[in-house]
Amino acid sequence: MSHRFHRLGAALLAAALLSLSGLGAANADELGPGGLGNATPRAAYAQIEGSGSTWSEVIVQQWISDVDALGMKVTYNGGGSSQGRKNFAQNVTDFGISEIPYPGVDEFGNADNSNGREFAYLPIVAGGTAFTYQLKIGDELVRNLRLSGETLTKIFTGEITDWSDPAITRDNNGRAFPKLAITPVVRSDGSGTTAQLTTWMDAEYPSIWRPFFGKSGYTSYYPRKGRMLAQSGSDQVMNTISGFAGNGTIGYVEYAYPLNKDYPVVKVLNDGGFYVEPTQYNVAVALTQARINEDASSPLYLTQILDGVYNAKDPRAYPLSSYSYMIIPTGAKDQRMSTAKRQTLGDFMYYSLCEGQAKAGPYGYSPLPLNLVQAGFTQLAKLKTADPAVDVENRDATKCNNPTFVAGNLKQNKLAQIAPQPAACDKQGAGPCGTATGTGEPSTDGGQPAGSGDGTSKGTGATSDSGAKGGADGGGGGTDGGGTGGGSGGAGTDGGGDPAATEVDPVTGENVATGGDGAGTTTTSGTGTTSDPIYATPTELSASRPGDSRAFGALATLELLALILVPGLLLARGVRRRSAGR
Amino acid sequence: MTTLPAQDSVLPTGRPTPRRLSRKATGADRVFELSARTVGATVLVVTGGIGAFLAWQSVPTLERYGWSFFTESAWQPESDVLGIAAVLVGTVSIAGVAMAFAFPLALLTALFISEYAPAGIKSTLVSLVDLMAAVPSIIYGMWGYFLVMPHAAAFSLWLHQNLGWIPIFSVDADPDAAVWDQSRYIGSAFCAGIAVAMMVLPMSCAVMRQVFSQTPPGEKEAALALGATRWGMIRSVVLPFGRGGIIGGTMLGLGRALGETIAVLLIISPDFVIKPRILEVGTSSVSALIAGRFGDASAAQLSALLTAGFVLFVITLIVNTLAAMIVARSRSGAGTDA
Repeated sequence: MSHRFHRLGAALLAAALLSLSGLGAANADELGPGGLGNATPRAAYAQIEGSGSTWSEVIVQQWISDVDALGMKVTYNGGGSSQGRKNFAQNVTDFGISEIPYPGVDEFGNADNSNGREFAYLPIVAGGTAFTYQLKIGDELVRNLRLSGETLTKIFTGEITDWSDPAITRDNNGRAFPKLAITPVVRSDGSGTTAQLTTWMDAEYPSIWRPFFGKSGYTSYYPRKGRMLAQSGSDQVMNTISGFAGNGTIGYVEYAYPLNKDYPVVKVLNDGGFYVEPTQYNVAVALTQARINEDASSPLYLTQILDGVYNAKDPRAYPLSSYSYMIIPTGAKDQRMSTAKRQTLGDFMYYSLCEGQAKAGPYGYSPLPLNLVQAGFTQLAKLKTADPAVDVENRDATKCNNPTFVAGNLKQNKLAQIAPQPAACDKQGAGPCGTATGTGEPSTDGGQPAGSGDGTSKGTGATSDSGAKGGADGGGGGTDGGGTGGGSGGAGTDGGGDPAATEVDPVTGENVATGGDGAGTTTTSGTGTTSDPIYATPTELSASRPGDSRAFGALATLELLALILVPGLLLARGVRRRSAGR
Repeated sequence: MTTLPAQDSVLPTGRPTPRRLSRKATGADRVFELSARTVGATVLVVTGGIGAFLAWQSVPTLERYGWSFFTESAWQPESDVLGIAAVLVGTVSIAGVAMAFAFPLALLTALFISEYAPAGIKSTLVSLVDLMAAVPSIIYGMWGYFLVMPHAAAFSLWLHQNLGWIPIFSVDADPDAAVWDQSRYIGSAFCAGIAVAMMVLPMSCAVMRQVFSQTPPGEKEAALALGATRWGMIRSVVLPFGRGGIIGGTMLGLGRALGETIAVLLIISPDFVIKPRILEVGTSSVSALIAGRFGDASAAQLSALLTAGFVLFVITLIVNTLAAMIVARSRSGAGTDA
């Protein structure tokens, strides 16, 4: 009987011990100097541990496996931003990752600060909070849903409850979706993603958000109501949406999650009048409007104010873009830190801020601009201030291989400059585009002044790929477009998707509105609408249900039972009678 | 006339006293007895310490919320409203579903192993069932989430359609919709209960099997000799004898089902309303609540979580003590009279 108690008790004791504090056991796993046998003399690394945001987890885990080859052992546990901040404050971890800074006092009125532990914020990666969904017409997953911010807010506050709602139809330029209840999937744990979403709703649509929430401001704990499902962690939200019962669900996660699962994301309407997807370009463009706290003496140094991002007028900007932060310990007497740990943390972040940023785009994030990388190095230098033995020499941001850098200009963001303009069919009142979302590539007309480098080479790669696909399934529409538009549209019709032919829409395989009126109309009535497979939409007739079906059901069950039992019983009785008569 | 022999008076005073027999263990026996006693006491101290720790931690919460802690269903630390009514109901309904599945399975498995299985494969079957107990809880959780839940949801729909008039099988959705509302049938106490049943099964089964195997062979043979079939023998001898073991094993399983954590946390969609509708999405259990919330809990919330843990501790203590008492009684053979 005591079996159970011990299990439960041990778990609770462990929980209590964890919460008490790190207990100074931090240095137990430290490797001795030179323990790794690394060539460089300073590379005496020790394992560092962190926890926090699941928003950033995908890229952080990737960086961790990258630096593993360099001898750095880093563990990261995504338990939500709130947990990351808490664990850091309680000296449980060596670093935390959070989307929002310490609020001082959390929305429950409890202290949410670093508990006296000295720290600095370090921006690590940018990204877009994406809305991913599963919506099927017949058996076909809708991949090009577009919604305005207001519609999204109404969905997440329970005002719009059905996919056939006129507001959704209007956002999709008249394309109606089947009558199906919307099931929003929210986070059940304390989450920075929730904080990002609710900050945006509170700033942009207070008249919808505040009555639902009951007060103003953001929250890390989404107030689940009505049909909403709650799941803990971005992974579980994504699993629920992509799961077998996910039809009709919509949830919010970082763009990396739908990208990994090959799931579509909502194109969100920006103030420039276009519906855009949170690709690395759109996020980079939007974040040029972020106001960063540049006061190095402020405790909130480098944290973001996103109002400009929400209202960015650029047609390419994704409104829910933001940065994610690492909380690093800067105290000289920090009880968990040692020289080896600081060195590991510094080198890990050096890798992440430089090399690692090149991976941001393909993984569904967006690289940091140069000024934030440089500021990040200043923050990392505080590790040396805390412990002079830490080697931070030879750290030059300009030598980083970062796709956003423009030589000689700190404030410019090359990625934002080469970001392609959205496709004409993504404009409010036009389209909708047939382009699939969740591919990592922005939908564009392809006629943009193409830049060089990383982004473009990837772009063309995807062009040939998806162009072929679009050309294949958009047969009728594509031919039509080629005919009216003339010119080199034939390439698209054949499904070749020639990457060099910039007049061809890279994804739909159609001729693009380069001049003629005819071509323009073709784009508007793109493959998304004309070549959609036609499915019967289920219609319910309330009169078709006789109320007494239950009685008949019971009768049928009885008859079935009788059918099975009666012969056997009769047989048994007959046998018994015969044996009795004998 | 008879006279009593007056022996007392003639007892010789110098009669040799019997040798004093020391019942104290000496040498190695003494060492063994002492160490065994110490280990035994340690177990008691640890268990008692857990109880005392939990009780001590729950004082501030109970002082603050009083009885409303047990009657309030919402768990909203943000608005200072805390209560475990909903999670307790959820815990009980998950455990109830688990027992509904585990009890017949465990009983029949135990009967098969002890009475029907050929001697050659008996030990293999026993170790297979024990192996089920060795599978980590998270594995059952993933099994339940990815493999079982789609089918459990379909079965839930069938139950709802056919037995929906029973309150516990009703779901807040249209059972006859042209396209059924799948998202209402997932993450329910029913889905979680199936996974928990698999974890509970080996423990219940082991207890039942042991008790069945203690059935006096003489009585079994007597029943067979009187012409009973094997099933008749089981009905008239094995089941009555093992009744205590069946109840005890079930309750031990129930004790474990009440506290299952990770599998439940993975499967359920947390919701804090008192929900007797076991097929409907959204439920919660005490242990899943603790596991899900303690990571980012503030000091006050942690105390509330530990109070919930204390309540669970007390409930499982009661259930397990009852089970142990019943099992102990049955082993004395008290159940044979039936």
